Amino acid sequence: MKPSETKVRELEGGARLLLEPSTTLPIVSIVVALRSGSSHDPEGLEGLARITARMLRRGCEGMDALAIEAAIDRLGGEIGANVASSSSAVSGQVLSRNLEPFVELLAKIIGAPTFDEQELGRLLRETQAELLESLDNDRGLAERFFRRKLFAGHGYGRAGQGTAATIAAIDRARVVAQHKKHFVKGNIVIAMSGDVTPEVAQATANKLVAQLPDGPALPDVLTEPQAFSGRHLVFVDKPERTQTQILIGSLGTSPHDDDHAALTVGNAIFGGTFTSRLTREVRGKRGWSYGASSRLGVDRHRHSFAMWTFPAATDAAACIALELSLLEKLVDKGVTDKEVRFIQRFLTRSWAFEVDTAQKRVHQALDVELLGLPADYYSRYLERIGAVTAESASAALRARLQPPNLLVAVVGTASELGEGVRGAIPNLVDSEIVPYDAEARA
Amino acid sequence: MNAKKMTTPIEKAVAAANAKPIEGAAKVRLEQNVPFGLAGTIHVLYLDNGLRILLLADRTAPVVAFSTWFRVGSRHEKLGKTGLAHLFEHLMFNETENLKAGELDRKLEEAGAETNAATWLDWTYYYEAVPRDRIGLVIDLEADRMARLVLREPQVKSEKEVVANERRYRVDDDVEGFANELLYKTAFTKHTYGWPTIGWMEDIQNFTPADCETFYRTYYAPNNAALVIVGDFREAQLLERIRRAYGALPRADIPPEDTWPEPAQLEERLVTLQKPTASEKVIVGYHGPALGDPDHAPLAVLSEILFGGRASRLYRALFIDRELASDIRGWPSTFRDPGLYEVYLTARAGKTKDELLAVLDAEIERLRDDPPSADELERAKARLELGGLQALDTASGKAEQIGFYDTVLGDPAGAFRRLEAYRRVDAGDVRRVARRFLARPSRTIVHVVPQPEQAP
Repeated sequence: MKPSETKVRELEGGARLLLEPSTTLPIVSIVVALRSGSSHDPEGLEGLARITARMLRRGCEGMDALAIEAAIDRLGGEIGANVASSSSAVSGQVLSRNLEPFVELLAKIIGAPTFDEQELGRLLRETQAELLESLDNDRGLAERFFRRKLFAGHGYGRAGQGTAATIAAIDRARVVAQHKKHFVKGNIVIAMSGDVTPEVAQATANKLVAQLPDGPALPDVLTEPQAFSGRHLVFVDKPERTQTQILIGSLGTSPHDDDHAALTVGNAIFGGTFTSRLTREVRGKRGWSYGASSRLGVDRHRHSFAMWTFPAATDAAACIALELSLLEKLVDKGVTDKEVRFIQRFLTRSWAFEVDTAQKRVHQALDVELLGLPADYYSRYLERIGAVTAESASAALRARLQPPNLLVAVVGTASELGEGVRGAIPNLVDSEIVPYDAEARA
Repeated sequence: MNAKKMTTPIEKAVAAANAKPIEGAAKVRLEQNVPFGLAGTIHVLYLDNGLRILLLADRTAPVVAFSTWFRVGSRHEKLGKTGLAHLFEHLMFNETENLKAGELDRKLEEAGAETNAATWLDWTYYYEAVPRDRIGLVIDLEADRMARLVLREPQVKSEKEVVANERRYRVDDDVEGFANELLYKTAFTKHTYGWPTIGWMEDIQNFTPADCETFYRTYYAPNNAALVIVGDFREAQLLERIRRAYGALPRADIPPEDTWPEPAQLEERLVTLQKPTASEKVIVGYHGPALGDPDHAPLAVLSEILFGGRASRLYRALFIDRELASDIRGWPSTFRDPGLYEVYLTARAGKTKDELLAVLDAEIERLRDDPPSADELERAKARLELGGLQALDTASGKAEQIGFYDTVLGDPAGAFRRLEAYRRVDAGDVRRVARRFLARPSRTIVHVVPQPEQAP
């Protein structure tokens, strides 16, 4: 059940296969992952990696989009594309009796796409429509503007899905060039799990990379993000909100930090479970928000720490003030031995659900590959968590989280709440109001 | 030939569980064994007090999923008290005679448990998954809150606030959530499916501890519940622990249900509303079959032909050929009584409801006139097979499928029965259900229009 049991096979041209066989269900999962993501998008062409990945299924050698879609369905399969800052993936699942024809299809999709001009135009228009539709999602809006401001000028702050303007700037030549550069053997990691033998998996993986040209893995283009000083407010103005979406945070942890496990423990105590301090105070005692939690993002470089709540508009200012005071107390006073022992038991015992399926286990191994995590990140996770003390967790909280330097992002109706929210944030150095649809309209 | 009957392992486990004298505790008996496809056999057992127990051994991971399904949902509520079943789900995480407020969650977290709960029209369920050596704790905690919950004003007041905020999140500030609520309110004039499970805001704010106490004493009892346990456990120990924890709990008199069948809808209903959204949305509900209706599986196949994947008819028509929509979905509701066949269409900027409906109507007419091709049927069935298997990946997934089908249909292996039913569907079945259910007079339409300043 440990990730270290994941089988690793080297493939031709520097590609790699990660494998977790399991006969639990007659299904095979395949991920064809790239060691590059949206952070590699050229300036002004944000969304290019995502558009390229989504174009793959819209035409390949000998098949148009409809033929591909019908073939996927007929085989009892599904295919999806996902692009993150540091990596990308084309993922598929299929009934294991149809693995062979599915792999032939997948190999053609990634190795010989046609990037039909008409299909590209259609996808670009579809993407513009999706950008408009995403305006209905208030939580998504809060996350988007939190990220833009927290990582301003850094790859993590860029619009991986694109904006109206950058999507409009993408053309076929760019997509073809993107595919040629990124879909090369050395940039590929394949993860397979499920009802497949090691021999078949190896042959399958070789088939998947056979059509791809040789080429090296793309280098990481991201630098360490810079922390900002002071408290900042970005108010995302949307009409008629009876409720607000609030994210408060700063930079967080890097998986290479010595105090990474200690900060993980500290964050879990603060807002990582249903009985954590934040949830108890905001939801349990006051009933202000259906959800209240904090999280640490993990990526190649230092990512974010964020508290998330969504109180009624009338409680928004008070909720922000409470969250700020809880964070100040956490950093100032630290955590107790009792809290650390409790959360260690939670993290250690709940680990069973991080590794209870072959797909989860292979994804851990994939994370290590794609995010450049320490090789023993998962295999020694429990040991590291177990070694944290109240002193080390408190020191990590003091070192990494600084209440005087915070970003507050709020989605709400500015005319009704703007003043109250500003008043709830002492020592605010700047605030801005942005229209909620700022990025979605050309 | 020796006629002596062999004792099966589960029969031995039942005998062992009953062997130990436990004061006042009901005994456990094996009712039947139900094959669960490739995944093994579900053992159906009862305690003498009416508690139904469904066991499925699954040793693929050292964990156990434990869920408690109560046969009570929003369909059992009364007007003016809507949302009580759901509020109650929240209250079940509070104080009991043996545990202070918050202690239940702390104990479960300390055990490394995944926990959750859900309420819907026909049922409420509570779920935990734990490392296998912690299952005894879960049994004790669940039995405790089934019978010894303490309902006081401070907790009720605080949870009412939480639920009001959940309502704002899921309904009042969510365009689709709001439209969905309106769809059911308009489509159902008599049946209790017409009101929202989360409840009307006014009702949520007016609940008293006495309302909650009455609801608890009426519906939370062993003879109105089923335990579904899937994972890596030892049957005899597990059953003995269940006897100890639940065996002395008393039955309740479950009142007969007070629902009305929904009268046939003879005219199309249309509701229009304005929302701060970027483009028009059309939500359509055709009166459809109950989950147990033999035509439900053919309607699910029809739904795949219309909406399943990018080779489906409506994806091709609305995304590719006409570029009218940015999001489309359709599915038959899975309720005990007849529900709706729901369709969600989001228009692209500048496109209208009438354009979307014209395409939807044309495709439905086509299905009512001509049967689908063999290739369309094959694709729809393959997609449904994959989806059905994906739901069984974990112990929790299996437990959920078993509990859901057992509670709604009385068939714990309903998930596999369903896969078999899909395989039997033919082109004529699809055409028949299109004719039976997808008729314009029986539909309700909610039309969401962007507020003037939102339109691009």
